[in-house]
Amino acid sequence: MTRSAELYACLYVREFPAQAMLRLRQKIHNQPCVVMEGEPPLQYVCSLNSKARTLGIVVGMTRVEIDAFPSAVLLTRSLKEEAATKAVLLECAGMFSPRIEDVKQDRSFLCVIDIAGTETLLGPPNILAQKLLTQVHALGIRARIAVSSNFHTAICLARDMSLRTAITVVPVDNESVALEPLPLAVLNLSEEHAETFSLWGICTLGTLSELPEKELIARMGQEGKRLRQLAQGVLPHLFVPVETVFALEERMELDSPVEQLDSLLFAMSVMLEQLILRATNHVLALASVTVTFSLEGGALHTRTVRPALPTNDKQIWIRLIHLDLEAHPPQAAILSLMLIAESGKTSKTQLGLFSPQLPESMRLDVTLARIRAIVGDDCVGRAVLQDSNRPDGFRIEPFSVPSGPIVEAILDQTPTAMRQLRPAEATTVILKGQKPDAFFFRQKRYVVEHAYGPWLTGGDWWNSTLWGLEQWDVVARGNDGAALCCCLVRDLMRNSWRMAALYD
Amino acid sequence: MTERYVELHAASAFSFLEGASQPEEMIERAVKLEMPAMALLDRNGVYGSARFHTSAKRNGIRAHIGAEIAVSSFGSRVTPPTWLPQQHIDEPARLPLLCESREGYQNLCQLITQFKMREKTKKEGAAIYDDLQQYASGLVCLTGGDEGPLAAALVNGGEEAGRKTVEQLVRVFGPKNVYVELQRHQEREEEWRNQAAIRIAHSLKLPLIATNGVRYATAYDREVLDLFTAVRHHTNLDSAGRLLALNSQRHVRPTQEMNMLFRDIHSAIGNTEELSARLKFELNDLGYQFPPYSVPDSDTMDSFLKKRVEEGIARRYGPKNDRGLLERAKRQVERELALIAKLGFAGYFLIVWDIVQFCKSNDILIQGRGSAANSAVCYALEITAIDPVGMELLFERFLSESRGEWPDIDLDLPSEGQREQAIQYVYQRYGELGAAMTANVITYRGKSAAREVGKALGFDEESLGRLSSLVSNWEWRGKTDTMAHSFHNAGFDIHHPRIAKYLELCMRIQDLPRHLGQHSGGMVICQGQLNHVVPLERASMPGRTVVQWDKEDCADLGIIKVDLLGLGMMAVIKDCLDLIPEHYGEKIDLAQLPEDEEVYRTLQKADTVGMFQVESRAQMASLPRNNPEKFYDLVVQVAIIRPGPIVGKMMHPYMRRRQKREEISYPHPSLEPVLKRTLGVPLFQEQLLRMAMTVANFTGAEAEELRRAVGMRRSWERMKTLEGKLRAGMNANGIDTATQDNIVQNISSFALYGFPESHAASFALIAYASAYFKVKYLAAFTCAILNNQPMGFYSSAVLVKDAQRHGLRIKPIDVQTSSWSCTVEHEHDGSLSLRMGMRYAKRLRRQSAEALVASRLRDGPFCSTEDLALRVPQLDRKELTLLARIGALNKVDGITHRRDALWQAERAGKMEGPLLRQRSEWLQEHSDALPLKQMNVEERLVADYAGTGLTTDRHPMYHRRPELRRQGIRSAEELRHCRDGEFVRIAGCVIARQRPGTAKGFIFISMEDETGIANVIVTPDLYDRDRLVVTRSKFLLVEGPLQNQDGVIHVKATRLMALSGNALEVQSHDFH
Repeated sequence: MTRSAELYACLYVREFPAQAMLRLRQKIHNQPCVVMEGEPPLQYVCSLNSKARTLGIVVGMTRVEIDAFPSAVLLTRSLKEEAATKAVLLECAGMFSPRIEDVKQDRSFLCVIDIAGTETLLGPPNILAQKLLTQVHALGIRARIAVSSNFHTAICLARDMSLRTAITVVPVDNESVALEPLPLAVLNLSEEHAETFSLWGICTLGTLSELPEKELIARMGQEGKRLRQLAQGVLPHLFVPVETVFALEERMELDSPVEQLDSLLFAMSVMLEQLILRATNHVLALASVTVTFSLEGGALHTRTVRPALPTNDKQIWIRLIHLDLEAHPPQAAILSLMLIAESGKTSKTQLGLFSPQLPESMRLDVTLARIRAIVGDDCVGRAVLQDSNRPDGFRIEPFSVPSGPIVEAILDQTPTAMRQLRPAEATTVILKGQKPDAFFFRQKRYVVEHAYGPWLTGGDWWNSTLWGLEQWDVVARGNDGAALCCCLVRDLMRNSWRMAALYD
Repeated sequence: MTERYVELHAASAFSFLEGASQPEEMIERAVKLEMPAMALLDRNGVYGSARFHTSAKRNGIRAHIGAEIAVSSFGSRVTPPTWLPQQHIDEPARLPLLCESREGYQNLCQLITQFKMREKTKKEGAAIYDDLQQYASGLVCLTGGDEGPLAAALVNGGEEAGRKTVEQLVRVFGPKNVYVELQRHQEREEEWRNQAAIRIAHSLKLPLIATNGVRYATAYDREVLDLFTAVRHHTNLDSAGRLLALNSQRHVRPTQEMNMLFRDIHSAIGNTEELSARLKFELNDLGYQFPPYSVPDSDTMDSFLKKRVEEGIARRYGPKNDRGLLERAKRQVERELALIAKLGFAGYFLIVWDIVQFCKSNDILIQGRGSAANSAVCYALEITAIDPVGMELLFERFLSESRGEWPDIDLDLPSEGQREQAIQYVYQRYGELGAAMTANVITYRGKSAAREVGKALGFDEESLGRLSSLVSNWEWRGKTDTMAHSFHNAGFDIHHPRIAKYLELCMRIQDLPRHLGQHSGGMVICQGQLNHVVPLERASMPGRTVVQWDKEDCADLGIIKVDLLGLGMMAVIKDCLDLIPEHYGEKIDLAQLPEDEEVYRTLQKADTVGMFQVESRAQMASLPRNNPEKFYDLVVQVAIIRPGPIVGKMMHPYMRRRQKREEISYPHPSLEPVLKRTLGVPLFQEQLLRMAMTVANFTGAEAEELRRAVGMRRSWERMKTLEGKLRAGMNANGIDTATQDNIVQNISSFALYGFPESHAASFALIAYASAYFKVKYLAAFTCAILNNQPMGFYSSAVLVKDAQRHGLRIKPIDVQTSSWSCTVEHEHDGSLSLRMGMRYAKRLRRQSAEALVASRLRDGPFCSTEDLALRVPQLDRKELTLLARIGALNKVDGITHRRDALWQAERAGKMEGPLLRQRSEWLQEHSDALPLKQMNVEERLVADYAGTGLTTDRHPMYHRRPELRRQGIRSAEELRHCRDGEFVRIAGCVIARQRPGTAKGFIFISMEDETGIANVIVTPDLYDRDRLVVTRSKFLLVEGPLQNQDGVIHVKATRLMALSGNALEVQSHDFH
């Protein structure tokens, strides 16, 4: 390919987080708007519109500093909306050429479109750029476009803030002249190089391009050569077009609302088949499947099924999804369904010839799914103690194969058996001088014979989750003479009593 | 029956991060709960005991002393079982020990010292069983709470192991000295250990004792303990988990509550009072003795001292040729020697004399300061340089019979190396266990508190940086100057619960100890073994040991210390003494500097940049008014610009009388001889003593007691008695009530802040020497002061500009001539100039610079940048670039300006390997063209400030002057000719911002331009309005009326602006 055959249009959108947010919020377009990033209370401005800039707001200001500008509208940065806007922009660019290179930026959007050979179809470069700009404006985005036969020249010109026009077209072989007045900032220099050039008094691409090449290489190595070529607008570029995203999605609109799940299983089976086929073509297996129903009344019902290992066994998928949906049925008639699958590596394990036969993992998954359907998702797995003084300090983790040697707790005495009540049952307690004297438990009155305690615990005082408990170990006797050994707990924050455990 | 309870197991914040309250707070709480006594047992030391003791004495309760000693032989302390997720680290169990007698205390100190010093570096350390056996006598042992050996044994090996551990303790300490300890924090695990402990105690017939294992004064302080726990384990509160306390029960509890808790265990509470009664030892019974000085057999210490003093008197007073003075001096030393002999202090004086002798023989400049300068003996022994007889100083301020404490001698040494030499000499002479540095307790201050609390609350690094940088270091604390206010200003929402908690915790941990450091110069020395008196441990600096008390604690307990302090100006004077003979050919005798009119004229003009003690803005503002004409005026000058005289409203009356605007009067005619020198205004502590002696017939000792009573804010009762005595004395002398009130008022308002005359005189001597050298030998003085930075009030940039204004030629760093330090050079016309040293090239390593100088001396000047890079391989590319940037390569062949040098340096710094270098013609650059353009003035200035922090070129403001003049902006010099009250505009580079505590929130800004320094006053209101401009601008434009009173010139700012404009923006961006 000869040089003159190349032609690139660079599409550059600055303040991308703000523009992405404002695109669909027409109402506040004319107000000063800032996009905040970070976790509360430590949020700061990451992007803003020009109205906000005129007020004196700058990137990096904190929430409280922004509070001093009552007219400013505060938005929270949304990477999802940015991704969606980016997709829309790429799609828009795609209308002009199938070859687009996405140049990753944190707070701006930049893509370069290979428009060589489009002249007969879309007109000369300036007309094309104008059309592109119009399209982008129609999306609610303000952008800048630079066209050049050199890829990098197009980027540098698009980035230059000093230009007043939104479109710059550089005639062929005129790159160096166009770049000459640009500041070095458009090159995205490393800190070290920026410092060296500043020491040398090199401020523009023009002065940089005038430095003798061999001597520059002796000082900066090949990077020096690259920068000089960049400044002269002659640095070649290997174009890497964006690949179409491989997304395993299937969607089906239903002709009429469906209430019976079973009647959907056939449709679902066909969709799964398609997904599995596409995954297989990529030598992949389905790792998870998310089923989304659009329901009557506009609600969505989404369930995700994720077996222990990725699989392409359709029957297992059908069974798992069926069990899950039975446990979590949608609350209204279904209008459409969508299946989105995540892919994973196919699971093939080479077992040793003499190793014991393991239970088939898929069957275990099905069994667990059945249990989950009965007791709820959060109650299946193994209990793992947390490093916390809280009495209920444990969480449920999915079952996994232990990796290290198993440490067994050695107890040298027979511990008292205790039944923890989960959740603890509310009781009414009558006190006598701060001590429990009698209480009602499961419709029975008990008189306390011995009470040991109070055992005091409390913590998390720095959080809104602060807690405090008072526990009593109690020996009590009911009306019928039956003895009860139990643990009464008083929540000091709410001043409420609960029965926490029964001792055998 | 309710029994009295005494808390015998409490730990303070001096258990570094394992306790949350100050010892004083513990005592305060004990007093509130009417506890008759309390014991402090901190981790592995008696760090807080001195403060605990002093506070207890003040409050009339008994302070028992002890410590929790880590003993590795008892295994690890209790941690949660391994099957529970937790992050506890393995630590040895700690044995609580209480001192019953002085022997017990001495054993405890030796025990701690033994295992601390066993470590080679600064470490916590742990004792072993043998150590306990060696030092058990006189100590009472408790079995401990969850940190103790009994709990550890019970958890790891059950009741049998627990019994064995207790039996082991009984074997070491004896059955009478072991108490089985019970703590009830309302935790389940603890209670089963208690039940086992009770059974063990019964089976071994040992007494039970209740304690609360106190870690903080009130339940609320548990939060601070949790915070410290997170800090100690380098984690944050959210992830600390089981490391944190289970509840908030480890506070000092009232008797009634403890009785309720232990009502089922007979005698556990009663035994606390019984044991407390047994513990006879208190800290005032230390048994400390200062070491004797070894003298020849024919002499006693007293006679040896007398001989040295007599020799000294002849040496000191002989050259003065004043018979009367000599006679008075002889009489004075006789009196002093008699008192020294009576008090047995001869050894102390001889030891200090010995240190001084060592320094003199090793060419180390040394001078005493402080009240020691009141003593003719110290003058004769050359410890001090002030003649107390000639200056009529009051000996009693230094030493008096009834004072009951050791005299205090501070010695100033040139900083760093030479001070270390003197310190190592003391170590060598008195042995590792005979001398040590005093501790310096590092406490949580604004910044450190902000940082560590933020970390514990889980804030990220960036926010932490921002939060801690907010904490203001300015002295004045106005009502809006709270932490909360500055947080709000910096953009944090103080109403957010986490930020609010953050702020609260930051304030609560202010001043709590964090760890132990060493005091920079305070040394304690003891007869024989210092480790009998206080535990010693390793300091983080190799070869140093440190005692567990800081200097105030040592002073409170009557332990004598010698302060070996580093004073930058001493190093400057020392350097001048070398430079002046070398370059001016004149010999200087520091003891006989002439009184010089030119020097006083300079002082009167307040032209004092760089001079010791008289260079600050406040000093400069008062110098023209005080108009010093003789040495004593300088003594007053040094003393008067202090918080004391300013708060005591002494400064203005003195200045008015000095300017003859107010008549000199005395509170009573009899006080005229006392106050005459200071024009009737009491300025010095010595005068206060003399006043009491004159009007109320106090003895010197009584007067000194009065001064100390006033000095201690809490001793109101003692003060009342003494006031009664003072008034009685004045009645006897027939002084009327109004005058009496006046005198009492004078004494009490002033004594709190007064400055000792002797100390002022010592400092004035150094101040005069620095002024003398600056006026007479500017090149030498500037060279010396630049080589000893940082010190003093001004930056090197200001010192350089000031010297240039005084006519000194200062030349920039040049690789062909500069050394590491600045040097004095001789010009062709015979004048002297100063060459900046390479130490001013920021980020240039000393070894690279020294290699450069060595190569230059060996093989001659460098002929190209490549030659420099080849001959000095230590120079890396960055250093070469730096030298090029600041113009240090401009004298190398082929270089005409800095950018030429930068171009070549970049090439020379990327040299090819040795193989290619042999055929370097292959790679030689064919073109000699140097493509870079010369730097303009602004770029050069920016390079100078960024690379060296100063410029030897013209002042940045000089380049803007025509433009400023057009705007009607005056220079600092022009202000001198403006009328008082005239409205002026000035601009300059901000060189100092101050907000003194005594100035009610006013801010003083010093601004420099090419003609001098101008002073600006900013009112608190203006500061509140333009806070950012005041604190952040490097260059300011100020408008306001001029105040020109008695030659003291200020601009009272009504409007402030940061200087902008294209060019200046560049400058202010990079300077400083």
